[in-house]
Amino acid sequence: MTLAETQALFAGLLTGDEPAAPGRIAACFAGTPALPAEARVGIYAGMYRWRHADALRATFPALARWLGEDRFLALATDYVRAHPSDHHDLGRLGRRLAAFLRDHPDRGRPDLADLAALEWARQEVFFAPPIAPAGADALVGLSPSAFARRRLALSPALRVLRLAHDAAALWRAIDAGHAPAPPAKGRFAVAVWRRGFDVFHGALALDEAAALRGAAAGDPLARVCAAFGDRAEPAAAAHAALSRWLEEGWILAAR
Amino acid sequence: MAPTRPDLGHGIGLRTPHFARFLEERPPVDWVEAVSENFMAPGGRPIAVLEKVRRERPVVLHGVSLAIGSVDPLSERYLSDLSRLVARIEPALVSDHLCWGTHRGQYLHDLLPLPYTEEALAHVARRVEQVQERLGRALLLENPSAYLAYRDSTMREWEFLAELARRTGCGILLDVNNVYVGARNLGFDPRAYLDGIPVEGVGYFHLAGHDDQGAWLLDSHDHPVPPPVWELYRHAVRRFGRVPSLVEWDDAIPPLEELVAESRRAAAIEAEELGGPRRRLAS
Repeated sequence: MTLAETQALFAGLLTGDEPAAPGRIAACFAGTPALPAEARVGIYAGMYRWRHADALRATFPALARWLGEDRFLALATDYVRAHPSDHHDLGRLGRRLAAFLRDHPDRGRPDLADLAALEWARQEVFFAPPIAPAGADALVGLSPSAFARRRLALSPALRVLRLAHDAAALWRAIDAGHAPAPPAKGRFAVAVWRRGFDVFHGALALDEAAALRGAAAGDPLARVCAAFGDRAEPAAAAHAALSRWLEEGWILAAR
Repeated sequence: MAPTRPDLGHGIGLRTPHFARFLEERPPVDWVEAVSENFMAPGGRPIAVLEKVRRERPVVLHGVSLAIGSVDPLSERYLSDLSRLVARIEPALVSDHLCWGTHRGQYLHDLLPLPYTEEALAHVARRVEQVQERLGRALLLENPSAYLAYRDSTMREWEFLAELARRTGCGILLDVNNVYVGARNLGFDPRAYLDGIPVEGVGYFHLAGHDDQGAWLLDSHDHPVPPPVWELYRHAVRRFGRVPSLVEWDDAIPPLEELVAESRRAAAIEAEELGGPRRRLAS
């Protein structure tokens, strides 16, 4: 067999694309009575399955904990079959898991896709580039017109998620070892960010999430603050939000 | 090309559970080895830890995803990430494995053994030269742990590795535990393996533990270095002389002190076998 043929056979045996026909295995791989060739290939096939599942478990600990060992391994196996790793960093394997769960919602709860989206965002911000947040006085001393024209540069270690379920509450219940409340469909927003080396997430009001998305898209502050227009006191709400964004290090600059 | 055997002493693998210790203090190890892929992200805690450690002691970058033996083209994205990390860390050495691990663009995330044929040798040699040219330095390749062999192989693993080093100038990262595991799993004499490796070609040793599965040994890196591997290490020291060593521990990782103790043991064995003064570990 050529090197290419050998690798195609071996890869297929690991991924399950190639049926483990004893004749083909014996023609390529050497075995012994104590450990036949099929068993030797099986060692690698088992490690392939477990290594991918372990990587996904590290990225999605709450999802893994809720599903339990067997159901999580089954999910990981199905997911890797659908989306084999195409990056040298095994930590990126799970980037399509939330979408996969949305397309295959039969894993126990309809909110697991949103939980996976939250956990993936936590992973992303953990490895985001280093940040140098703006100082607390970044928006101080500006004239009203200058303030209105400023645009914010937001942290690359910040994600704003729009979710169809309260994934933050589900994550909290699983993390605390409590039984989660039944899933309820709705409109939810969650911010995920890194401060120092620690990752945080927290619920956002929908208008604040819209304001952050606008800021990320390059809207001037006048438009960003307009997102709070339905509040009883819009200016106070916008002021509180901007203060919090500065405090949490979400704003890198106001230009 | 950079020298392939700097006088590093005896080190340990830098692993996540020990990050806090390395940030807060200066553990008494001569050098550390970092798994390249775990530090390629531009930000976050891992790279910050590695940069702090690098300011204090030598670092070796050890990759698992180069896939030097795959028939897939070498990954430009991987080489680019690795080059960036090498420029950032300025490691003493850069190593990966004699293996393949990608197929049609898919990463299999394993260190799969190659058939040891002339075709594979020519293929790997071409790619080693490409990588060395890209990095501007010698690459070291580690002998893999193996659970199977190919019927088509026409040479022994050590013959393949020695010839690869001769053709390309690459260094050899000699994993003493992998030699022992392979010897048990495939039925060869581990000392014959060591004796078939050119003395000048070895850049550093790996030492690790394994798990006995009955009919075979698993290269698990979750145990102390077992007595037969220490014995084989003694033989290696006698043959290769003063060579840096590195204790790997990747699962069920113990307290840092236990890893450091394993590293000290390697230093002590080296001193016993070579008769010189016992190397003092950095403090």
